Amino acid sequence: MLVQFANWVQGELACSPALAKIVGILLAAVPLATVFALCFAFTTWLERKGLARIQNRIGPNRVGPFGLFQPIADGIKMITKEDIVPRSSDHFFHLIAPLLVLVSSMACLAFIPFGLGMTMSPIDTAVVFFFAILGMNTLAVFLAGWASRNKYSLLGGMRAVAQMVSYEIPLVLSAVTVVMMVGSLDTREIVGAQVVEGWATSENSGLRFLGQIAGWHVFTPWGFAGFIIFFIAALAETNRSPFDLPEAESEIIAGYVTEYSGFKFALFFLGEYIGAFAVLGLAITLFLGGWNGPNFQPWWSSDPHALLIPGFVWFFFKMFVLMAVLIWIRGTLPRLRVDQLMSFAWKFLLPLALVNVFVAGFLFHVAKEDRVWASVAAFVFLYLVAKGLSRMNQSDAPAPRKYHFAE
Amino acid sequence: MEDPSKSTTSEAHTLSDSVDLDDATRSEMEKAGVIVSSVDWLYNWARSGSVWPLQFGLACCAIEMICSAGSRYDIARFGSEVFRPSPRQADLLIVSGTVTKKMAPQVVRIFNQMPEPKYVIAMGACAISGGPFKQGYNVLKGIDRYIPVDVYIPGCPPRPEAVLHSLMTLQKGIRRQRTLGKGSNNPAYVEGNREYPVPSFSGKDLDPPYNPEVWQPPEKRPNMPEDGCP
Amino acid sequence: MTMESSVVAGSEPTVEPRGFELIEREGLETNLLEVSMGPHHPSTHGVFRMDVKLDGETVTELRPVFGYLHRNHEKLAEDMGYLGSMPFTDRLDYFCSMTNNWAYALAGEKMIDLEVPERAEYVRVIMAELTRLVNHIMLVGFFVNDLGALGTPLLYALREREKILDLFEWASGARMMCNYMRFGGLRNDLPEGWLTKCREVVDAFPYFLDEYEKLLVENEIILVRTQNVGVLKPELAINAGITGPMLRASGVNYDLRKVDAYGVYDRFPFRVPMGEVGDCYDRFMVRILEMRESIKILRQAMDELPEGPIMGEAPRVFKPPAGEIYGRIEGPKGELGFYLVSDGTAKPYRYRVRPPSLVNLTVLEDLCLGHKVADAVVILGSVDIVLGEVDR
Repeated sequence: MLVQFANWVQGELACSPALAKIVGILLAAVPLATVFALCFAFTTWLERKGLARIQNRIGPNRVGPFGLFQPIADGIKMITKEDIVPRSSDHFFHLIAPLLVLVSSMACLAFIPFGLGMTMSPIDTAVVFFFAILGMNTLAVFLAGWASRNKYSLLGGMRAVAQMVSYEIPLVLSAVTVVMMVGSLDTREIVGAQVVEGWATSENSGLRFLGQIAGWHVFTPWGFAGFIIFFIAALAETNRSPFDLPEAESEIIAGYVTEYSGFKFALFFLGEYIGAFAVLGLAITLFLGGWNGPNFQPWWSSDPHALLIPGFVWFFFKMFVLMAVLIWIRGTLPRLRVDQLMSFAWKFLLPLALVNVFVAGFLFHVAKEDRVWASVAAFVFLYLVAKGLSRMNQSDAPAPRKYHFAE
Repeated sequence: MEDPSKSTTSEAHTLSDSVDLDDATRSEMEKAGVIVSSVDWLYNWARSGSVWPLQFGLACCAIEMICSAGSRYDIARFGSEVFRPSPRQADLLIVSGTVTKKMAPQVVRIFNQMPEPKYVIAMGACAISGGPFKQGYNVLKGIDRYIPVDVYIPGCPPRPEAVLHSLMTLQKGIRRQRTLGKGSNNPAYVEGNREYPVPSFSGKDLDPPYNPEVWQPPEKRPNMPEDGCP
Repeated sequence: MTMESSVVAGSEPTVEPRGFELIEREGLETNLLEVSMGPHHPSTHGVFRMDVKLDGETVTELRPVFGYLHRNHEKLAEDMGYLGSMPFTDRLDYFCSMTNNWAYALAGEKMIDLEVPERAEYVRVIMAELTRLVNHIMLVGFFVNDLGALGTPLLYALREREKILDLFEWASGARMMCNYMRFGGLRNDLPEGWLTKCREVVDAFPYFLDEYEKLLVENEIILVRTQNVGVLKPELAINAGITGPMLRASGVNYDLRKVDAYGVYDRFPFRVPMGEVGDCYDRFMVRILEMRESIKILRQAMDELPEGPIMGEAPRVFKPPAGEIYGRIEGPKGELGFYLVSDGTAKPYRYRVRPPSLVNLTVLEDLCLGHKVADAVVILGSVDIVLGEVDR
């Protein structure tokens, strides 16, 4: 609907191409920003409510029905709060860092296809651009840590750089497998490749139904391993628990946001969640079939290709499921230590991701009739590699101990 | 101009004075309660619904403060479970326990580090007056000698229910505040950026013994001995 | 806008680049980072302060600073009658008011050779073991919180603590500051129905412990974070005077409940869990195992609880003869002792507390050196300090 509206407006403005272009960008950007700001608000509510339920509590319920207006109250409060800039900080970078976090995270969203024809910036090299812009996040976080001139901020900033740089490599490598197999860097084509061609267009409604799921990359051996690597690396990339070291509150107060108050802190908060949405969106695009999902033919339509549930509903559903998993992890797991975090990235995730690339390459060249056997073999091989790597990494494997008692 | 989001600075009250309305119109509008009061209402609603306390425990009372976040009491219902570790992001300083003379400068400094609007709850007898340790040589006889306190919770230590009640009292107080227009009674805007001098601890006593801006010793009653203790 | 006198949040003010110490390393010039953690820090368990020098993230020097909660407990006690200090002992270690009461009552009873009735002794054992449950469960909760598990284990621990605090409140009238024991016995008898309720709580506790262990003990992140971190050698532990679960985690068999057998502890068969390595994981596990032993003691004490008076032949005015006495018990944190010097008047001439937290804290630097700053926080959590007792 929105897409049709956008096309209509652009058609009307066809007389002046420059104006049409600007309006076109605005038409794409404004809904994106609003929708994701709302998503952010809902997610903070979901997180506080979810954590509360995990901890046997009720959670916010005084502000609005079920505490649903809690994010709005928080937002207004944070906007109106005094903005403190420490005297000895670097004022310019202190100001620019939260903006940079938000802008880079928002820009990443431009390459995610939320539904059919709902990619804000449909370009051929979307995946490369996505990672390039996501890298800015690291810079911004470090800027924040450095500019605050607080020792805790500095520690947090240093941790963030080390962590994000090392986890970016497995993140990219696991995306590389998908790019290799699909043969395209365009996110729309990657989504399109996850529909089983013959089934999706078949006359049988059951096959059509299955065709929307069966092609997801997560069901292939390289896709499965890739998705797990991608998901773990995404946790670290977005500073979520158990990799929330840059803002580990029991160690370094609040990490790089220690000196930020009021609206700038809110921007950091927002930027972080938008970043999480973007990375999860990419995970959905690469491995979980993008906007595809089990679908039916609406009863009023005779067109066999019409879909009852629009694609973006599926997309946002998947995104919130993944977000709920993040919240669940956050409420359960303790935090890793810096050196353990690094060795996990370099000694486990990176080799596994590399092996996964080779496995994908091998499967690419296997003839079609041998695919099934090759897939099973690849699954077993990847499992063995993961087991072996974890065995190799732990020379003195930590294990629960037996205790003796004195009478 | 009535948008509170623009008034992040301490000059907010002067800012709202410079609205291009003459006083008659303004008072008429206030009578009708059109914009000013509804903006005030929204602002107060937001502030009272999201009071984030500072994660700051001093002594015994801190345990009961933590308890109030636990599942039986659940301070999260009021939107206040976000205990921020950094004073820069906190709204509420709960002085939970005995403030010793060595600790008092740090407490005042933390108050100064918090951004406006900020509130203080003095929790427990010690924070109010020194409590059972009042006779001691190293105990500050009430944190209100240095920083303004909004709500006092008596008790040693107060129960978590009392902490929740103090939070509700604070929320009520916030909802009663008027920020915009003449006659604003929101100290965050009337007094501007509240920062109080940090006392210095000489190893023996605090200098100055109290902040005259905030607190004055009570007048001596005729039948009382010199030290004020009966 | 800029604040005129803004300082670095959460730490002592740093006016000029102080605390950067130049060190040379292979031609590279690097700095040691001096961080003052505390007195306001989320995981220093109160107002403790660690002045830490960091090489990257590694701790190279650690100086504990305390005294931020010095409430002149001892001086106040010397200024009032013996019994007047009883409520103040509640506020020493504010998790374990019952054991503090007992230690002080024990010292006073020793001074005048006061006989305590059997029922009072049994009730004291019940209260002390309930206190041990409260203390250990809270310690484990805070410890895992320091490890970064956003509150969930801590809030589970708080949930269970509430049930025991209800029992305390029913018996003594206060949740935390019980002030329940007196020289020669107890202030009042257990209320009617208390024992039934207590049995319910104690019977439900092992199920909670099972759940808790399932959540934590085999969690791989906890294993990795705590094993071989902050190893305390038994020799150092003995030399430094460490007591309590921390000593036993290092493999030294020393439990005052066995050694002194004060009260009626010699009537209960219970085992003392021992660690071998002496790292954070052992300290964590020894406490969990101790809770299971406490439950055994509790069950037996409730079964054998005799009828009878709860107060001995205590004098109206407590005026011990001149002399000195040291009374000690096995508190949840270690050996808690009260050293009283009497000059024959109704006020103690000297009143001194042997706080287990403070003595256990003395080895903090030895434990932390060479570890990461994140480990320093965890080690501090495993030492189990309460600032009310450290600073008094």
